Order: sequence, then C-alpha cells, then structure tokens
Amino acid sequence: MLRYIALRLASSALVIFGVSSVVFLLLHLVPGDPVEVMLGESAGVTDREALREALGLNLPLWQQWLQYMQQLLQFDLGVSLHSKRPIAGLLAERIPVTAVLAGASLLLALLLAVPLGVLAAVYHNRAVDRGAMVFALAGVAIPNFWLGPLLILVFAYWFGWLPVSGMQGPASVILPALTLGTALAALQSRMIRTALLEELGRDYIRAARARGFSPLRVIGRHALGNALLPVTTVLGLQLGALLTGAVVTEQIFNWPGVGQLLIDSIQKRDYPVVQACILFISLTYVSVNLLTDLTYAVLDPRVRLEAE
Amino acid sequence: MARHVWRCLAGLLLCLGLGACDNGDGRDTIRLGIAAGPVTLDPRFATDAASHRISRLLYRGLVDFDASNRPVPELADWSQSDPRTYRFELHDTRRPFHHGHRLTAADVAATYRSVLDPKTGSPHRGSLTVIESIEVIDSDTLVFHLSKPDPLFPGRLTLGILPAEKIDSGHAFGQRPLGSGPLRLVRWPSEERVVLERRADEQRIEIVTVKDPIVRVLKLMRGEIDLAQGDLPQELLTWMQDREGVEVVTKRGSIFSYLGFNLRDPVVGEPLVREAIAYAIDRDAIIEHVLGGAARPAGGLLPADHWAGHPTLDGYAHDPARARALLEQAGYAAGDGPAIVYKTSNNPARIRLATIIQHQLKEVGFDVEIRSYDWGTFYADIKSGQFQMYSLSWVGLKLPDIYRYVFHSESLPPAGANRGHYDNPIADALIEEAESLDELDDQALVYQALAAHLHATLPYVPLWYEDNLLAKRPGIRDYELPPDGNYDGLITVKREQ
Repeated sequence: MLRYIALRLASSALVIFGVSSVVFLLLHLVPGDPVEVMLGESAGVTDREALREALGLNLPLWQQWLQYMQQLLQFDLGVSLHSKRPIAGLLAERIPVTAVLAGASLLLALLLAVPLGVLAAVYHNRAVDRGAMVFALAGVAIPNFWLGPLLILVFAYWFGWLPVSGMQGPASVILPALTLGTALAALQSRMIRTALLEELGRDYIRAARARGFSPLRVIGRHALGNALLPVTTVLGLQLGALLTGAVVTEQIFNWPGVGQLLIDSIQKRDYPVVQACILFISLTYVSVNLLTDLTYAVLDPRVRLEAE
Repeated sequence: MARHVWRCLAGLLLCLGLGACDNGDGRDTIRLGIAAGPVTLDPRFATDAASHRISRLLYRGLVDFDASNRPVPELADWSQSDPRTYRFELHDTRRPFHHGHRLTAADVAATYRSVLDPKTGSPHRGSLTVIESIEVIDSDTLVFHLSKPDPLFPGRLTLGILPAEKIDSGHAFGQRPLGSGPLRLVRWPSEERVVLERRADEQRIEIVTVKDPIVRVLKLMRGEIDLAQGDLPQELLTWMQDREGVEVVTKRGSIFSYLGFNLRDPVVGEPLVREAIAYAIDRDAIIEHVLGGAARPAGGLLPADHWAGHPTLDGYAHDPARARALLEQAGYAAGDGPAIVYKTSNNPARIRLATIIQHQLKEVGFDVEIRSYDWGTFYADIKSGQFQMYSLSWVGLKLPDIYRYVFHSESLPPAGANRGHYDNPIADALIEEAESLDELDDQALVYQALAAHLHATLPYVPLWYEDNLLAKRPGIRDYELPPDGNYDGLITVKREQ
C-alpha cells in the first residue's frame, strides 16, 4: 500500500511539473504583452524596457522558466504584475470562496441525484424513471452560461426569492450552486440508477427479500451501499470538473473566487497569477484523483490486492 | 506560506459562517454597477478606465478639464512667466488629505517627482518628461521648469496629488488610497466591491463590478444596485425603457469609433478604395437601428464640442452609387471589388457591427472576411501592424496632441500609435504648426484644418461618437452623466427618502 501511495505521489508530482511547464510556455506564446497593458501605449521605449527588466521579462524564456521553477520549489508563487500583491495572498482570499461554491454545488447535486437515482431504479421504466432521464439529459446538455442567467431571471427577477448575484448572505450561494451542480446531479442520478439496478438483480438482494426485509431496508441498507461505491469514484473525478465549471459560473454570478481571478488575469496578461490559478486547479485535480483512488482502495479490498 | 494557508482556512470558516458574505453595515448605501473593476487606486499607476475614474474621486489634481476639454484650475491657478515656466498657486479652499494633513506644494512636487522617477515605473511618466525641474517656493506655491515650450502643459497636470511623507515611506496607495478627494475609501473587501464614503455628508457609496451586462441590469431592476453606467448593450436598454422601476439617461459622449487601415497594403492603401468604403457604410442606419440612436456621426478624432474639434465635419454620407463608381475608378470591375480582411475583437456587439458593415460593403462589391479574436490577441495584432482593416475606438481623448501620436510620420510604433503607417507631409506640417502656437484658440484653427485634411485623405474612416448611458432606480437624483463617462456624479448623487 505504501509503495502504491509513493508511486502515485511521484506520478502526481510529474503531472504538476508538466502542467506548470506547459502553461508557462503557452502563456508566453499567446500574443499580448503585460508591459504594454501596464504602461499603456504612451510609455516611452526606455520605460518599457526598464519595466521589462524589472519584471525579468527581458530574459530568455528558458531562464524565466528556470526562475519560475526555482520559485515554485520554494513555495513562492511570486507577485501579481498588476496589483503588486503577493499571489499566495490573492489565492488565500479566493480559494475559500470557490470552495464554498464547489461544496454547496456538490451538496445540492447529491441532494438531487441520490433520491432521483433511487426512484428511477426502483420505478424502472415507469414515468418517474423517464422523468429522471429527461432531467439527466437536460442537466448535462444545458451549458452553465445559459442556465445561470435563466435561473437568475426566474428565481431572482420574476419571483424575487433570491439575490441576483454577488455574495450577499447564505441565500446568494443557492443559484450559483444550482447552476454549477445541475450537470453533476444529472450525471450522478444516472450513475446511481444504473449501479442500483445492477445491485437489485443480485442474489443477496433476492435473499434479503426472501427473508422478508422491508423494501426500504433492502434498498437503503443493502443495495444502495454497494451501488454507491463506483459512484464515489466518479464523484471524486467530478469535483475537478466543478472547479473548471466554477470559472464560468463565477463570472455570471459575480462570485469572487479563483475562476474570476483567472479570467481577469488572462485578460490582463498577468502571467504569474494565471500560472498560480492553473497550478491550483491542477493540484486540486491531482489531489482529488489520488484521494479517490486511495479511498477506493480502502473501500474495495480487491483494488488494494491488485495494486500490491 | 504557512501564513497564507492559515488565512485560507480562516477565510473558509468566515465564508461558512457568513462573515465574508456581508452586505454593508446597515447604513444606507448607494450602489453603482460597472463592467470592469479597478486594478489599482494609486493614480500614478492607473491606466484602466475604472482605476482612473475612481481615483478621480479619491484624489484631486492641480488641473481638470471643462466641458470643451480646456484645462481649468482644480487645486491651483497657474500663470506663465515665459514659455518654459509655469507657476502654480494652490487655492486656500483646498481640502486636507483624508488623514487630516494639509495638502502643500511639497506634496505636489513629491507626487510629480515620484512619477518622473524611472524606478517608480509609472505609465504616466512619458507624458511628463517635458518637466525639467520642480521648484517649491512656499507651502502654497511651486514652479515647473520645462525643457521646451509646451502650450498644452497645464492639461498634463491632472494627476491626483499624494501626501509626500507617505510617498517616502512607500505607502501602498494602490490598495489603501490616501488623497484629498471628496470621497475616501472605507474598505475594498474584494476586487468586485469598493466601499467609499463621501466626506461632506458621510454617504456610503459602493462600486460593484458585475461583468455580465444582463446580470448587471437584472441587479438594477431588483434594486441590488441603484445605478448602472456604460457598457450596456442596446437590446437591454430597449428592454429597460419599456419597464417601470428604472430610468435610462443618455448623454453625448466622446468615445470615437473608426475603421483603421494598413496604408502599406496594396488594396486599402489606395485612397479611392478607402473613399469607396467610407461612402458604402450607412452610418445613419446603424446608429438608428443597431445603436438605438445612442451615437452621433463622427467626422474626426475630436468632436465638435471639443475646443480643438472641427465644428462641421461629420463624415461621409451614405452613397453606394458613388462607392461603386470609385471602385471602378480604382480599376475594379463592377460588382467585383477587392477582398478585404476585417479584424475585430470577439465582443458580441463588435462582431454584430462588423457583420453589418461587411454586408454594406458587399452591396457595393467588396468581399469582406471578418476575423474576430480575444481582446489581447486582437490588440497585439493591431499594435504590431498585422491587419488590413480593423475597427476600434479611442476613449477619453482630452488633449489634441493625440494627432501627433496617431498621425505623425514619426509616431510609427513603438514610438506612437500610427499603426497604419500614415505618412503625409501636409499632416506632419499642420501638427508641427499647431504645436508651435502659444494660444489654444490659434492652435484650434490649425487642428481644424488638420481634421479636414485627415477627413479628405482617410487614414481612418470615422464612424461615430458613442453616447454615454446611465440606468438608474427611481429616487436616485443629482447624478450628472459626464461626456467622458467618469463617475463624478457620485460626488453629488442622493437618494430621495
């Protein structure tokens, strides 16, 4: 097990190294110059060159990359080119905000997906199942940038139940969380339905029924527990997708998280901040992946044996 | 690093406990919704519109502009003893800085010296390098010595003044502004919210950044913000005009939209082709049906109400027959005009306008291909001269030295913004003649002749000046919408009780 964890950690470090390097190179290939954005067009050539030198942008790309990697190894994310604030501080402000949104989305997704998936499996091929199928299809098909404004129009503007956007108390997280969590809920409800249907056809369920257990006990205690195992894996992987989805959702709902910071920084060509945001997203992806695999290995002894 | 981790955890707890989800402190707050938030509140570094407009509220400069963009005294009156010496006397009525210290000539000198110091890295240094030295006479008087005569010099002194002792101590003005303006910063909890307080009556003002225009308008309709200024698509304005609970105000603006050309290109470098383009575009129809009437036709960079603007030029009237004739004169067969690549940003409104212009040009025989890019890529292409034709706007033009910057043959990038490589000896001579005159009225006459010459030679096809737009809730009054779109209305705005 320890060897497995060590191997996974090493491969994760490699992935992070690769992502950081690729993002670094791609950013410097994109047209647009942070010095131009910062100084404006009226600045003289000498001023531009002076700032380029001060920011280290005059160095060859490989030297800039080396500097960046050295900084990363010392856990130094650098300073924003525009606001001159330490990036670690900027991220420390933004990560909790995004975490609240992602957490609320996950919670809402589960609250929707579990009952819907169970009902669809229990009432297989009946109206409830078909209704759940429609929800799943719509949920996966509707993009965030359309669903968000639609929810705002209905629940904030027409009914006036919830705030339009921004962080204004607990109610303000509901619409962005619904926007972000709907696709996940749709996917999860189908996953739960399929897994549960498979479990319900197994011998141990037939045996439990033969013993006279109530349907609630058979489904709730026996079938659902086993059905949730593969669902947990997919859920872990989807948490990463939630973070990338948050980039769009945060824009729509004016949610001051990492996604907004990323988009703003791309527009301003604030290279170090973009790099730090993408590093955070990749770290989250890799960590969640790793944790999911480890949890799965703990939950399912067969996986552990194969790994060893 | 550990500090930031703790900060992150504390933030999470705060968020979960709703501490970070605050909505003011219960005081009546007037909220203005804008499309892009400020980057910095240090006027020495402010280049984006929001930073500049909010800094105007927090700091005061020596000079400001009147309605015709002539420089007028703000903190100080000036006099000129010779063409290279300007003496400024600070007004007795000036307000102290937000921390109570009196604003003196030493503060003014320290602010400008700081900007002129290359180590500061201020983007405004380039326009002030004409300053040779600054001499502080007493606490109310200072003298600027210039390296060469510059009749437009007072108009360059609009920068907000910072307290000298705080400059010396390296105060972070960008995050904790400290000026003598009519408003002061209360807090800046996130980039999306800036909370200010008016010094005169302690009215709380909040500037809220809401990027999506639909969301901004819905917030306004719901009363989550009280005002929304600028960057509102026409369809939303039309939608709002039909509804109760919101009032839409438009006022003549000075944002100049134009079509630019690469004059080294064999197709659009031909004057007859550019003239044909100018005649082929039906600006009146676009203004009426696409911009909802919220613009006026433009004839040059500066509008007629600018002191150096031409009083009568308003561009080329729509005349497709003439456009076709001009194309034939340029050697193209009827209905078989040249192919042109038209670059624009990926802003939906800009793409829509490009599509309409593409269609209008097709009517006279042009074959236009639109290429849209994200802003950074598009702007980088324009600045590096990689274009045949593009559309863009000039925002916030105050001084007529823009003509040198954009049209003089010595202003090719990176020295200036003559991106189309316009090289015209008459235009160069007129620019130099205007710069040599001491009186603004004399300069105005030459700049008008220059505008007429540019109108005839068409390095740009002038399109229109966009109006400024404001949408506000009922009960909000005394918010004056300025031509340059600044937020000075927040100095006087009130909510009727």
